[in-house]
Amino acid sequence: MNAIEVNNISKSYGKIKALEKVSLAVEKGEVFGLIGPDGAGKTTLFRILCTLLLPDSGTARVDGFDTVGQMKEIRRRVGYMPGRFSLYQDLTVEENLKFFATLFGTTVEAGYDSISAIYSQIERFKDRKAGSLSGGMKQKLALSCALVHEPSILLLDEPTTGVDPVSRKEFWDMLQTLKERGITIVASTPYLDEVRCCDRVAFLDHGQVRGIDTPQVILNRFADIFNPPGIDRESGTEASEEHVIEVEHLVKTFGNFNAVDDISFAVKKGEIFGFLGANGAGKTTAMHMLTGLNQPTSGTGRVVGYDIRTQYEQIKRHIGYMSQRFSLYEDLTVAENIRLFAGIYGMDDKSIAGKTDEVLERLQFIEHKNDLVASLPLGWKQKLAFTVSIFHEPGVVFLDEPTGGVDPATRRQFWELIYDAAQRGITVFVTTHYMDEAEYCDRISIMVDGKIRALGTPDDLKREFNQPDMDHVFTFLARKATRQSD
Amino acid sequence: MALKYLIRKEFLQIKRNAFLPRLIVMFPIIIMCVMPWVMNMEVKNIRVDVVDNDRSTISQRLVHNIETSRYFIFNGQKPSYRAALSEVERGQADVVLVVPPHYGRDMACGRNPQMLIAANAVNGTKGSMGSAYLSQIVTAQAMPSTTAMRNGASTLLLYNKNQNYKLFMIPALLAIVMMLMTGFLPTLNIVGEKEAGTIEQINVTPVSKWAFILAKLIPYWIIALFIISMCLLLAWLIYGLTPAGSVGYIYLLAMLLALFFSSFGLIVSNYSDTMQQAMFVMWFFVVCIMLLSGLFTPTRSMPDWAYLTTYVNPMHYFIDAVRTVFIRGGGLQDIGRQVTALLVIGTVMTVWSVASYKKNN
Amino acid sequence: MKQFVSFVIKEAKHILRDKRTMLILFGMPVVMMLLFGFAISTDVKNVRTVMVTSQADHMTRMAADRLAASEYFTIVGTVGTPQEAELLIRGQKADMAVVFGHDFASKKSGVQLIVDGSDPNMAQQWGTYAQQVMANPQQMAPVNTKMLYNPQMRSAYNFVPAIMGMLLMLVCAMMTSISIVREKEKGTMEVLLVSPVKPLMVIVAKAIPYLVLAFGILITILLMARFVLDVPLAGSLLWILAVSTLYILLALSLGLLISNVAQTQLVALLLSAMVLLMPVVMLSGMMFPVESMPKILQWISAVVPPRYYIDAMRKLMIMGVGISEITKEVAILGGMTAVLLTVALKKFKTRLE
Repeated sequence: MNAIEVNNISKSYGKIKALEKVSLAVEKGEVFGLIGPDGAGKTTLFRILCTLLLPDSGTARVDGFDTVGQMKEIRRRVGYMPGRFSLYQDLTVEENLKFFATLFGTTVEAGYDSISAIYSQIERFKDRKAGSLSGGMKQKLALSCALVHEPSILLLDEPTTGVDPVSRKEFWDMLQTLKERGITIVASTPYLDEVRCCDRVAFLDHGQVRGIDTPQVILNRFADIFNPPGIDRESGTEASEEHVIEVEHLVKTFGNFNAVDDISFAVKKGEIFGFLGANGAGKTTAMHMLTGLNQPTSGTGRVVGYDIRTQYEQIKRHIGYMSQRFSLYEDLTVAENIRLFAGIYGMDDKSIAGKTDEVLERLQFIEHKNDLVASLPLGWKQKLAFTVSIFHEPGVVFLDEPTGGVDPATRRQFWELIYDAAQRGITVFVTTHYMDEAEYCDRISIMVDGKIRALGTPDDLKREFNQPDMDHVFTFLARKATRQSD
Repeated sequence: MALKYLIRKEFLQIKRNAFLPRLIVMFPIIIMCVMPWVMNMEVKNIRVDVVDNDRSTISQRLVHNIETSRYFIFNGQKPSYRAALSEVERGQADVVLVVPPHYGRDMACGRNPQMLIAANAVNGTKGSMGSAYLSQIVTAQAMPSTTAMRNGASTLLLYNKNQNYKLFMIPALLAIVMMLMTGFLPTLNIVGEKEAGTIEQINVTPVSKWAFILAKLIPYWIIALFIISMCLLLAWLIYGLTPAGSVGYIYLLAMLLALFFSSFGLIVSNYSDTMQQAMFVMWFFVVCIMLLSGLFTPTRSMPDWAYLTTYVNPMHYFIDAVRTVFIRGGGLQDIGRQVTALLVIGTVMTVWSVASYKKNN
Repeated sequence: MKQFVSFVIKEAKHILRDKRTMLILFGMPVVMMLLFGFAISTDVKNVRTVMVTSQADHMTRMAADRLAASEYFTIVGTVGTPQEAELLIRGQKADMAVVFGHDFASKKSGVQLIVDGSDPNMAQQWGTYAQQVMANPQQMAPVNTKMLYNPQMRSAYNFVPAIMGMLLMLVCAMMTSISIVREKEKGTMEVLLVSPVKPLMVIVAKAIPYLVLAFGILITILLMARFVLDVPLAGSLLWILAVSTLYILLALSLGLLISNVAQTQLVALLLSAMVLLMPVVMLSGMMFPVESMPKILQWISAVVPPRYYIDAMRKLMIMGVGISEITKEVAILGGMTAVLLTVALKKFKTRLE
């Protein structure tokens, strides 16, 4: 018997068809991947499977039970981790885990083995409130909470978004163990290496199943989407020797904890600088100091020629910033967001209007000029946020995980924009968890435990640590971490 | 310069909001159509039970007098005080008037018989005013001479000659409007941006603190002024009530109060992380400020320690001054002290609010 | 059962961890009780009075002394003409003026009171009090007035039940609805729904800590009323608690109903503020007597639950009547609770929209 059977399921929200006659079957004990671009209907399918939504037409059976009529049976058997899963911010790490364990009728002790690989990384912070963990750490805790019990079917909606590569590998190792115990797993993911870990995958696009097969077959068949050709960068602009960012012995202490522990580096003008590190290594804190959101505890730094301690208001005039959380105004239209931020940087109405059209034209986005940002898919929001952050032609733009949770094709388009900006002389300072993106950078630094452990071009680093690619370099360094998180 | 764009953004967001535009239109209408009727502490329709142990013509005349009074409803004759009291207990009567036996005869003999008025004083105002009115009626009947003497000490009511409670309450409504529109809404707005994360994006731009804060406040000030105008207009249309003094002073006072409430809201939002927190803290202080301001009860009746707080209570200055203008027709010389006080309090709060807003930690 | 307990503990932690909200929740009743008990009153006191007289003869001084001696009035000055007095009143430097005629001493008449009539109730009372104070004290009044239940006419007697009605509604309805909606907004509700726990249990577990909190507040108020404000708890404590429990249940069901409608915390907040708090304060008879309102508003107030609770509490606590006198109120509250709870539970969604 199949663990999950979906027959001709359709679901629409108003005019938008989220799912259209979707049929698929998942065998017992299989790791089944659900892939597809943003808005393909993956989350809707998950919700229908775990009985949270009723389909408009069609039927679905989970573990032999109908999702419409036998809700209680299914809810007893499935484990579900929603995409925007959030923990109880005011409970501690341990309290969260305990609560979810009891909720699913088990205890932390009983389920410890199945989560130890990930939970051990955050266990030393078990008395800290979930709200004060960094983004990636929260995700790890969420994973632990979802896996602490052993349901017969596990539904995971983009479980590893924002998690660093090392932890992602550990997570998928855990899924393999669960699989060996006979648990059926359905997971969606934007990461290609994770797709390859699945037994079979279904490719969803615009609410329709475009193909179900082994990962290799699907990835090859839709190579143009999943494996876009690398980007050729005209190496025309020889990076000048002028330093746009200079940091020496920068330290930021929270309480008695050094989030950033004596880092020094310099970024040249026009460079694309990748700022890598495991979750909680201190990347975001460092970036906040460079952008004038936080004061350093000690050490000095200059950004576009201004001191980060005293002249942070001048710095803000000459930089762009795109935060980890999407932060344009959702209730304004595309054009209104652009006009607002351009206006803040002192551009006048006329030049804003002209440039808005020009930029949107180039993005091929002009027809969505008057759409509300809330109605755009995530990938477009991120491209738009980037466009807004460089609209005033800043000297440096800071991007904090700009491509989290987006499919490969959209990420590639995003990087084309980054190259385009670099071409125009804008220095790009970017953090990412995608190691293929790391390869796109001119130079990268890898932070571990608040310190910079490696700094150089991707090729230099591969040579230095004797590893075949960036993924291995990162894993090699991050595994040596002692503190694992903040 | 950036201010222009920020203000435009706020207006767009208010326009797009599903709730705010409706609130802005409906609010003054509801406030003006319903509130003056509700906030009516006028004591009337007091239900009187009469226990007549005399059954003479005198007591019958008394009942007649009660029936014709605008304050009372004659609830009926009761056989005994006990029966009447149980009606009071069941909430069916408010005051009991007991006529002693042989009242008429004793009266005729000049023995000064005494009637008993027992009033339900759980609500003190109602109890005391009800019994006072009733004793006036009784006294008038019992001792026409005394009444004549008292009438000699005539009472002249100034300003609110018709004893119209609505006239007294409309200034209080203006205060409440200002509080909600310029206090609560900007606070929720700023905490909302904190929760959505957009404030971080603003903080890395070169926008100055003042520009950001002003951009949050100005739209609500404009809206508040619009609502105040609507309220004044509606007060005239519905109740025929117009300010006795200059309308300009009312706007001036409203702006000064807005300065205080906006800054106060900003301070609360700067120290709060969630909307719920901000809302509760705001609510707590606002209730205290309102109760101690003399909006509903006279400040003069407060004990000394409580009266001292009115010296730093901007709402007190506002309501004092606005009643002076609206009801008493006072001019600048009458409200100079209040204007100065509001200005000082407002300025202090504004400086505090800007100082407590941190773009850089 | 274990799940249930851990659920309740979790919910209690949410409440306990938010120190500021906790402080407000317990600070609010205490401060309001103190304010209503000690600070706010509608007593006639310290009325600023000016004397208007052209010559200070013996009789005028006697009358002035009598006024000054009473705690109701303070003499703030003497002026020559009524016009000057009116200016003082307009400038809020005086509330009342006593104008003595030229021949006051000889004819014992010709006194006029000029009262600031802005606040009609107070103006009435000032006038009456001033007349009584100045009247000839030898004359015996023909009536004997007895103030039932509240001989000193303290406003606290009236407000304690009202504060209970308002705060219990606020804590139970507003807080429960927000805490449920918060889980919806943060996405944790999805997990709770998909978990093996029964949806009904989620709701009951959420309600219990607020129930306890509400009792805490109720007991705080009752203790303060009795020992700080000296308000007698005339009726049976058992019935007071029983009727309050019914009311708390009613408020919880209302909160649950709001949480079904609202999708975001902001909407829940505004909904509870607009459809709960406003009517409770305005239409329940808490501050403004229902019987002075126009008929249509009286009808609307008939569906405002706190109206019946406050009424019942005033009778039970202050007047000390037995339960038999408030059967009507209790029956209405019970009916409302039953209807609201049924609707709220029926409407509770075990799926997403």
